Amino acid sequence: MALPLLLASSGELLSERAGVLNLSVEGMMLTGAFAGAVGADASGSAAVGVLTAVVAGLLFAALQALLSITLRADQIVTGITANALALGATTYGARLVFGDGAGAKTLPGLDPLAVPLLHEIPVLGPALFEQTLLGYLAFALALALALAFSRRRTAGLAVDAVGEDALSADRSGLPVTAIRYGTVLLTGVTSALAGAHLALSEVHAFSDNITGGIGYLAVVAVIAGRWRAWPTLLACLVFGLAQSLQFAAPALGLHLSAPLLVALPYVFALLAVSGLVGRSRAPSGLTVPFVRAS
Amino acid sequence: MSAPVTTTQPPSPPPPDPHPPRPAALDPTRLRLALRAAPRHPLAVAGLAALFALGVGMLLVLAAGAELATAWQALDEGMFGSPYAIGSSLNSAAVLALIAAGFTVAHRAGLVNVGGEGQLCAGGTAAAAVGLALPAGVPAALGVPLVLVAGFLAGAAWAGIAAWLRVRRGTSEVITTLLLNFIGIGLVSVAVHEEALLRQPVTSSETLPQSAPLPTGAQLPLIGGPESPATAVVPIAVLAVVVTGIVLRHTALGLRLRAVGHSPAASARLGLPVGRLEGGGLAVAGGLAGVAGAALVATAPYVLAEHFSSGYGFAGLVVGLLARGSLTAVAAASLLFGFLTSGGINLQLAAQVPASTVQIVQSVLVLSIAAAMLFTTRRPGSRR
Repeated sequence: MALPLLLASSGELLSERAGVLNLSVEGMMLTGAFAGAVGADASGSAAVGVLTAVVAGLLFAALQALLSITLRADQIVTGITANALALGATTYGARLVFGDGAGAKTLPGLDPLAVPLLHEIPVLGPALFEQTLLGYLAFALALALALAFSRRRTAGLAVDAVGEDALSADRSGLPVTAIRYGTVLLTGVTSALAGAHLALSEVHAFSDNITGGIGYLAVVAVIAGRWRAWPTLLACLVFGLAQSLQFAAPALGLHLSAPLLVALPYVFALLAVSGLVGRSRAPSGLTVPFVRAS
Repeated sequence: MSAPVTTTQPPSPPPPDPHPPRPAALDPTRLRLALRAAPRHPLAVAGLAALFALGVGMLLVLAAGAELATAWQALDEGMFGSPYAIGSSLNSAAVLALIAAGFTVAHRAGLVNVGGEGQLCAGGTAAAAVGLALPAGVPAALGVPLVLVAGFLAGAAWAGIAAWLRVRRGTSEVITTLLLNFIGIGLVSVAVHEEALLRQPVTSSETLPQSAPLPTGAQLPLIGGPESPATAVVPIAVLAVVVTGIVLRHTALGLRLRAVGHSPAASARLGLPVGRLEGGGLAVAGGLAGVAGAALVATAPYVLAEHFSSGYGFAGLVVGLLARGSLTAVAAASLLFGFLTSGGINLQLAAQVPASTVQIVQSVLVLSIAAAMLFTTRRPGSRR
């Protein structure tokens, strides 16, 4: 359960560090899930579905980047409205492509591949080593992003510089706009893959609003993780665990109200951002558009 | 949308500074020069954005395989075709206007209330609890105000959580109100699933997870003709918009809120109770959304059920974003969105065009206005 969350927030972390609060992760995931479902359905191959998801995620992210970086539109307004647009467009598209019984149609999905030996480790084994190919790819991508943009590397420092003080970064020769575009597009890719993972690896179908708020959790995980990779990972794991509790509770013999458990990750997220994890400081350039002083 | 024009501009000549030249689209002065001829007045921009959104809508209708004329007729029928259509459109518009008016109050204090949906859920739950606790023969003059006040208080308390976190711990209200939406939706689910809470007595396996109907004295009175479903929520919303308009524009309180919105630091220097003004603004926003939730519960079929909010909280937020701080715009946009929502339902029923077309058109409208704001001379309503 934590995997789509982890993947989406690994991109979002970069874009927020570069100063773009990408509230539209939810919309990007939804777009990815829908495009992945359509691609897989039309071609009969899940791999093509993943590819279409990435392309659609890039297009959606390009729109978001154009609005919030080049046109300097309010990032909160564009983020939330872009999510509404994605919800409307995918619901509309699902009616056209899949007809009214959208949720019922089974798609060519990805099957889990167990890693020999490792998947027999109790508890951890099934969680980590019985993923689909896309799942392993997601792990690898999230890890690669965290390492490549660590604060000990030039690339990571550049991203942080752009997010903290875009004007100074620009004066020292960093391509501010290009870096911001890059991080938003990257978020589009990771979020779309996360959405495709939901639709193709986990559910094997597309239903209206399939993401149901996971994208917002990804944004919150970054904030709760204080804009650092490892704490963000931890936040994703906690939220993901809270999510999977709604399926695991009956098996564990817990008789808790199901709707209560659905809301649980959001309660955790609220507690996390409201300071249980300690005071934090956002990148000072977050949501501030960059205008070069003339 | 005249933005793409600029991307074809040739690169600017090398500036005297050592930086390499940038593509013209990224250079704000050039952008402004190129768009000097473009309309600047916010109303003109809104008109262009509306035309663009309308064009998108027509494409979507065609893509769904419907005739434009059929679709237009269906939309018109759903909006103005009958007293029923007009009445339910007005009810929708009123609910949206309540939420958007609240959004504008918080916005004036520099806060963005993304939590309309959660506050609406809290208000609706409290309204149902109070309404069901009233005796069956309660007079409407007592029952209706009690239900609405319960909605206001619960909505304000729900927003109060975010306000408290914002003032005490400095947590961004955008994030907290957003999260409280999902928790509020969960709250309604829990309330209508548990018999110990608000679920109607379960008599068979087919008993729906919803509350029992509110007693007659707690139901909002109808105000239209015999066929119109328009309820007292319409005058309540008009009152709310007018009162907030007057308070924000013509009173000292309105000026203080605006001062805090412009600069919390300067306001604190002047001795304004910044935290109380911010928190109060957000609480009023939540309260009005809570009244909207109470009104939804106190309208036919007079029950609290899952999804009773029908996404009004998010739609009201979009209206608030679109209005950009103006209450006149709140009234206009609520009417537009309210009628479009009713029309959209009929669009699906009569012309087989997905109702989500309306949602897409609305989002495109807001996005294109947000995108075009760079080109208007002045930004109305600064956010912080």
